[in-house]
Amino acid sequence: MSFPTALSTTRSAPIILDIRQISKSYQGVAALENASLQVRKGEIHAVLGGNGAGKSTLIGILSGVTQPDSGEFLLEGSALAPRNPRDAIKSGITTIYQELSLVPALTTLENIFLGRELIIERAGMKVLLDRKKMKNEVIELAQIFGISKDELDIPISEFGALKKKVIEIVKALTFDARILILDEPTSGLEEEERLHLFDHMRNLRSRGVGLIWVTHHLDELHGLADVATIFRDGRTLESLNLENSTVGEITNLMFGIQSNEAGLRTKNDRLQKDDKSNRPEVLSLHAVSRAGVLRDISFSLHAGEVIGISGLAGAGRTELARVIMGIDTRTSGQIFLKGKEVNFKSSAFAYKAGIAMLPEDRKQLGIISGLSVAENISISNLSSVSRFGFIISRKKERELATKYKEILSIRTPSVNQKINNLSGGSQQKAIVARCLNSKPSVLIIDEPTQGVDVAAKTEVHELIRDFTSKGGAAIVIASEIQELLELSHEILVLRNGSIVGRIENVQNSIEKSRVVEIKAEVLALSAGKRLKNEI
Amino acid sequence: MANQRFNISMKKFLSDPILGVIILLLLVGGVASFTVEVFFTLQNFTNFLSGSYFVMLLAMGMTVVLISGGIDLSIGAVMALCAGIVAKLALQGMSVPLVIVCALAVGAFVGCLNGLLVTVVGLPDFIATLAMSAFATGILFIWTKGTPIVGYMDETYKQIGGLAPIYREVTVPMVIAIVVAFALGAMLKKTKFGVHLFSVGSNRLATRQSGINVTNIRILAYVISGVCAALSGIIMAGRNTTVPPDLGGGYEVLAIAAALIGGASLMGGRGRILGAILGEVVLAMTINIINLLGVPSSYQKIFIGGILLLAVLVNQLVISSRTKILMRSTNKK
Amino acid sequence: MKFKNFFFRSVSITGVPIFGLLILIVALFQFVVPIFNATVGDYITNLVPVLLLTVGAAIVIIGGSIDLSIGTVCGLSAGITMWTLASGLPTALSILLGVATGTFFGLLNGFLITKFGINDFIATLATLNISGGLLIVLSQATELYGAESEFFTSLVYGSFFGIPTSFFIAGAIILLMQFLLLKTILGRRIFAMGNSGAAANVAGINVRNVKLATFVLSGTLAGCAGVLLASRLGGVQAFLGLGYEFTAIAGAVVGGVSLAGGRGSAAAALAGGLFIGTLAQGLQLIGVEPIFFGIVSGLALIIGVIFDQKIQDIGQLRSRFDSRVLAQPPRKEGDHG
Repeated sequence: MSFPTALSTTRSAPIILDIRQISKSYQGVAALENASLQVRKGEIHAVLGGNGAGKSTLIGILSGVTQPDSGEFLLEGSALAPRNPRDAIKSGITTIYQELSLVPALTTLENIFLGRELIIERAGMKVLLDRKKMKNEVIELAQIFGISKDELDIPISEFGALKKKVIEIVKALTFDARILILDEPTSGLEEEERLHLFDHMRNLRSRGVGLIWVTHHLDELHGLADVATIFRDGRTLESLNLENSTVGEITNLMFGIQSNEAGLRTKNDRLQKDDKSNRPEVLSLHAVSRAGVLRDISFSLHAGEVIGISGLAGAGRTELARVIMGIDTRTSGQIFLKGKEVNFKSSAFAYKAGIAMLPEDRKQLGIISGLSVAENISISNLSSVSRFGFIISRKKERELATKYKEILSIRTPSVNQKINNLSGGSQQKAIVARCLNSKPSVLIIDEPTQGVDVAAKTEVHELIRDFTSKGGAAIVIASEIQELLELSHEILVLRNGSIVGRIENVQNSIEKSRVVEIKAEVLALSAGKRLKNEI
Repeated sequence: MANQRFNISMKKFLSDPILGVIILLLLVGGVASFTVEVFFTLQNFTNFLSGSYFVMLLAMGMTVVLISGGIDLSIGAVMALCAGIVAKLALQGMSVPLVIVCALAVGAFVGCLNGLLVTVVGLPDFIATLAMSAFATGILFIWTKGTPIVGYMDETYKQIGGLAPIYREVTVPMVIAIVVAFALGAMLKKTKFGVHLFSVGSNRLATRQSGINVTNIRILAYVISGVCAALSGIIMAGRNTTVPPDLGGGYEVLAIAAALIGGASLMGGRGRILGAILGEVVLAMTINIINLLGVPSSYQKIFIGGILLLAVLVNQLVISSRTKILMRSTNKK
Repeated sequence: MKFKNFFFRSVSITGVPIFGLLILIVALFQFVVPIFNATVGDYITNLVPVLLLTVGAAIVIIGGSIDLSIGTVCGLSAGITMWTLASGLPTALSILLGVATGTFFGLLNGFLITKFGINDFIATLATLNISGGLLIVLSQATELYGAESEFFTSLVYGSFFGIPTSFFIAGAIILLMQFLLLKTILGRRIFAMGNSGAAANVAGINVRNVKLATFVLSGTLAGCAGVLLASRLGGVQAFLGLGYEFTAIAGAVVGGVSLAGGRGSAAAALAGGLFIGTLAQGLQLIGVEPIFFGIVSGLALIIGVIFDQKIQDIGQLRSRFDSRVLAQPPRKEGDHG
């Protein structure tokens, strides 16, 4: 693959950031391989790619959080190697993350000048803050970005998401940022607010700042981004001039349809052929809401069926799972399990009733780190390894764990090993074992294969298929649409806490052209805009 | 535009931690005026206020530590220890200024130790300061051999303790409390250190990434509360006229309650000096009412425990309802 | 074989240093202080209530919280027992009321923390004052001594085969707690919660109830300790129990119960409590003033925490090493994601 030459000739602005052949690997697995890209003065450069494509590793390196194994990057001609975020900011590269790095208790002004306050001299002592001077220095810039003089004195905690983003931008500019990295800047913003933010981005472009814009929202690109670089599998594939490329082309590149296998593997032939209504309904939700997070979620799940949940981060996917499990409470709506209304006060009741959950954040919410593999497997159904209903039998526990170790091929020398010592894939399988051991009729799986290698991924998929072929029902939440297509019979698309689309009757084997179509549709739905006409 | 301005001033007002305590003050005052006749007399006011300056000082120090995201359970014991130092050194005939300097130095030193234990050693804050409390109490017990230190009082210490006024109704503790309040208030509002203090308590990671030495800030917060405890101890020595070994027991609880009522948060990043002062006034008023109603003083400890619980609950309630109001106002927009 | 397993699990790696230290200082004091042997029985009898508190503190700490109220609750329980005895209630009922006082405060703590979401150390700091205050009120209202019940005094001063009865009582309770922590479903849930409350909450554990249970257990143990204390002292003063919580927490931490939660055992806490007690007793016999004990406990606590952090560091190093050994060979590039 070669760079389109048209790009470098049409745009004549000088290159300010030149990233050359940067590589980085974690524990022998390459996260970034010879990534190269160039950002010009006054350019909005979109960085696109699926999960794990290497975008965040690149941001980490540019912002000084991590250091590359090889390669270098030049800012206005001189090589940079920031050792920490502060280094990077001082040299002129500021990153604005999804999670804000502002201090909520401090005012706008105090945040902008945090760590480099201006001091006034009074009676030979330099202790008092010179708020007036600080204000004067920043007010012009602030007003350009719509921050009033009064708002400089209001604590950050009182502002909405957009204002906080803008304040971070202003802060970056007072640091004389020449490169501004925006990581999913529109997440959490309402439609109108996005348009405001885009205006600010155009403003930044006209000031000659080079913007690196990481986004999933392909529909936002047109008319705003000048160039897009696509990441896949840790490599930079291509830099496209966005004036003459379509969303279809971009999705093709992002998800690598050309190189992928044709269509999809079998899901579960026998059940797929059945009519859905022939199988008993296991779980159904009626207009379930949770204030500010979920709105009117309704669906029904039948035995042997997998429902996939798609949507961007923050769309309410994980929150939906937590509400079903009773970890978070719902504000309205009803949940029925096998025809009976349920209202779980904690996940303990959900497990007892036959719903198990594999959480997204494996390290924080999945494994119980101090306990052994065996103890982690048995924890959700301790009565399965106990005598007289309350005494735990170590022998039974060991046997149970060994059984699952064999079935799921969990790689560990002993089931008494602490679970933190296992690889990510084996930890995930141990948690699957935990779920299965609670003999659930519904399995909720949040990002089943995050941080898991390819071999383990197929194994985990097999486990889910096996579970449903035996009559279990599952809800799978995943960012990768490919994964959902492979596993589920129906896909729900969430956006801002509501179901915005359903793809019913996902076939077992889908032609690749149809796969592209579905992906584009799901992406469009998640992003909130229909792109049908473009595909 | 006018609407926006109103919105902004509304936000400012709602974000002010002082709001809750003012409501509480009016509430307690109102209840008092109905139940106790002698409550609204100058005599009664000066009476209960004069007994609250030393807790006010503790509460101010506590507020500084709470803002930085920590907690200091040692201040009661440190106050008692410093009172002990004053009594001991005065008995040995040391001059008053020197005695005061020594007590302050000890307070600062203990505060510094607290800070080091929490930051460098990495002990949980309440465990470290609880250990320090045990140390301080232990030392005082050793000194006093279990019986109160007596016989150090003279005219100067009477004045320091507020038993004798320096001008009409003006007493030394009052002056100290006012001076410290202004000094700390200015420090929080007007200096770089003050800004960093809030910053550390609110978002430690972001503060560190801004190149601020977070460890130093946190240690200094404990030093300030140690010095406040020492000042409080100096007053206490004069006011109590003797220093019994168990002098400090429980005052840290009052200080926490006052600070929390005054709008400080256990989560850090919130709090105001004026809030701490008014918080202590509310507490003193409540205890005063209880006394005036004829409840024996032996019940005081139970009330203190109950007040602490109430303070935390009110604190949580105020914060959560505030967020709700703010969320509603932004949603409307 | 089975017993051996239980024993080793009880002691575990983290328990080795404290048991070693305990043996070391006992040996040292025997060597230095000739009368140590003669007084050892007495002193352990004195220590029994605090040891029960130590085990209670350990249970709460393993569950990831802290209970500062146990000292004064123990004192109040002693007071209630004494008061009811003196006012002529049957001994068994008085004992029951004493223990129930502890259970009540455990419940109160648990509810304040799980239902109202109050910080654990603030909530228990408040109940510390409330229970301590109640004892002051109680002790001023009536005289808390002079109960004449042989059965009651025999709780501590009676003996079987030359061993004081209180040993049997405390031993049985501590053994029960050890069993509860290591062998029962509740115990396992306490460990899981202490290790990672958020993960336990997702994994089907009713974290609130388990937390409540830990506070009820520690409160009940404080109640038991109070009854034994009353039996030993024969009279209760206004400030009884104040500061015991600190010795108890220090003992648990020195014994290897991690303040971070999720690690430790009743046996380890017992060893830690014995260590601090022995040290205090030995020092007293050498001629150090008893008032230094607060300082000794404080020091022991700090050293215990530092030691715990070092163990965690070592554990992390080891797991890092293990994971490197266990990690599969890197797959071909482009395979992942």
